[in-house]
Amino acid sequence: MFNSRSVGGVMRGLTMSALVLLACVSSAHAEKFARIGRAATPSEIAAWDIDVRPDFQGLPRGAGSVAQGEKVWVARCASCHGEFAESPSVFPPLVGGTTRADIERGRVAGLAAVSENSKTTLMKLATVSTLFDYIRRAMPFDAPKSLKVDEVYAVTAFMLNLADLVPADYVLSEKNIAEVQQRMPNRDGNTTAHGMLDVRGKPDVSGKDCMRDCAIDTNTMLLLPSTVNGLNGNLAEQNRPYGSIRGIETRRSP
Amino acid sequence: MSVRRSVGRLLPAPENFIPDAVLEEISAQGLDASRRDFLRKSFAAASATLAAGGALAASDHPAPDGDMAILQPSAHSTRLGHPVAFTPYGSPSKHEANLQRRESPGLTRKRESSISFTPLQGLFGIITPSGLHFERHHAGWHDIDPREHRLMINGLVSTAKVYTMAELMRLPSVSRMHFIECGANSAMDWGGPAVPTVQYTHGMLSCCEFTGVPLSLLLEDCGIDKQKAKWLLAEGSDGASLTRSIPIDRALDDAIVAWGMNGEMLRPENGYPLRLVVPGLQGVCWVKWLRRLEVGDAPFATREESTQYLDLMPDGLQRQYTVIQECKSVITSPSGGQRLLDKGFYNITGLAWSGRGKIARVDVSVDGGRNWKTARLESPILPKCLTRFNLDWAWDGKPYILQSRAIDEAGHVQPKIAELRAVRGKRSVYHNNAIQSWQVSAAGEVMNVQLS
Repeated sequence: MFNSRSVGGVMRGLTMSALVLLACVSSAHAEKFARIGRAATPSEIAAWDIDVRPDFQGLPRGAGSVAQGEKVWVARCASCHGEFAESPSVFPPLVGGTTRADIERGRVAGLAAVSENSKTTLMKLATVSTLFDYIRRAMPFDAPKSLKVDEVYAVTAFMLNLADLVPADYVLSEKNIAEVQQRMPNRDGNTTAHGMLDVRGKPDVSGKDCMRDCAIDTNTMLLLPSTVNGLNGNLAEQNRPYGSIRGIETRRSP
Repeated sequence: MSVRRSVGRLLPAPENFIPDAVLEEISAQGLDASRRDFLRKSFAAASATLAAGGALAASDHPAPDGDMAILQPSAHSTRLGHPVAFTPYGSPSKHEANLQRRESPGLTRKRESSISFTPLQGLFGIITPSGLHFERHHAGWHDIDPREHRLMINGLVSTAKVYTMAELMRLPSVSRMHFIECGANSAMDWGGPAVPTVQYTHGMLSCCEFTGVPLSLLLEDCGIDKQKAKWLLAEGSDGASLTRSIPIDRALDDAIVAWGMNGEMLRPENGYPLRLVVPGLQGVCWVKWLRRLEVGDAPFATREESTQYLDLMPDGLQRQYTVIQECKSVITSPSGGQRLLDKGFYNITGLAWSGRGKIARVDVSVDGGRNWKTARLESPILPKCLTRFNLDWAWDGKPYILQSRAIDEAGHVQPKIAELRAVRGKRSVYHNNAIQSWQVSAAGEVMNVQLS
């Protein structure tokens, strides 16, 4: 219509433009920031919008078996994470520390006792969507986004099998992933009942602003262990070499 | 003159005064009392030798009729200097090379997914020089061509849109100063003192002036569905395509889609050409190399909020979406790993901040928290921004324990580590906003300690 060279066409075009303008009046910014930004195309949105939510919004169709996943794992994942996703040598371990009782209960009992370094991903993780989403967008570490969707399903299935959440002959797909969610060992292990989500929230501790003769306990003072001396390099070389405050010499022989 | 007294006085360190054998011993066994004593003796001997030969800097040992730095014309006052534009993009003095971003050993195995810390011990005021801003990458950094960079906004909006950098930079911009603190700042000290200096205890903290378009303006430009919108997903364009869920009230309040930092474009390590600035929220929410924002009606449970950045409570329950960085402060000088070379006047100086607003007051104690004095707050005092505090102090050569305690405008008082541990236990990682203690020994050495 806007390409018409006839007078009538031009008139119709003007009428349409006027209508468009009228429509824009209701949206002040759209008018104010004319010619800035454009509509995203469906293909562009599909290329970038790959996130998967806990309710599986965004999950692509596809399928992968535990056996297929093992092949991908050995080739692409095991060098960092270990053959059974248990290795702590490069990154914290992924699988381990969960029990059948945890699967029944939806809370990982071991979290109440372990140290930070021995926690595994499957102990902490409440939502299987996160596993799929992260592998798809960020793994393998040195070649992110190089796995096909079916390979992502397969690797996810392999890890779920290592954690005893699906059997060895399982084929994970968009149709049955919600069933797996019902078996995630720590699916009920998170809370948002805390003061650090709302800017007006209440801190855990209300400190005291005492100014004189305040109660302190000097009997239990913890010192920096001497074993760390030098681990962070020579502190003398991490402060200015002049002035009346210097870094302490903690030089280690090379 | 006793050894201790000489240590408390002089002290431009003569080079190589420690024999190699002693260095190896220290390396193998650490600095215990006898080795410290030995070091002092060798230091004193080396200094005496140099002083006898007249090799020390003039200002430290004035000649009988005055300071040679004044009496003798210097090379730089008697010669032509460098021309203009000799360094077209300037660099710090060569004498400042000690203050650098540094890694701490043992934190990570891959340097592309790691941390470098800001040298807070040597910085002044509240602005972090761009080149010293701390780093936390999850899949390494890139230097992205701004002509190739795009920002997409989709989800619960009337029109999903794409913006180029040129288009974003045409929009009305704001410039605001804000701190950014990693949620894991001070994490290593949850169980007890673990690292020696403020660079490693608190150096995942920086503060810059950021310039960009208010996020609310962009979301309105796309026609955000304010009835349904509850969360915003922010996504980077790095290899990790790092994602975080931002509560929509934070996104629509004071968040900025920023390209500028301290008057220049963002540095590549800090998200060039575009990053999200979400004042008061933990650093991982400030998504770098920002490529997409998706408006949603529920949180997205991304990896960085489902296996990382969770706060494990003693009963095994994990707190999720703990985004706010709470009221905190630290004395940056004198601080851990430093040594006071002389008695007399010192300026106790440090930084205070709160993700819930402005800093209202900072108190300083030199006796481990028994008695406090209110410090001077230097201007500007801005919301969700570092605030510099100072307090005069005369050191008399006795041992002290220095602490600072911040109070924000909401009235929240920075807690003691024991108070935090009583709620969260010792296995927590993130959100350690406890009062920091620095012990000053009679020899002037400052050490990281914890008082309950």
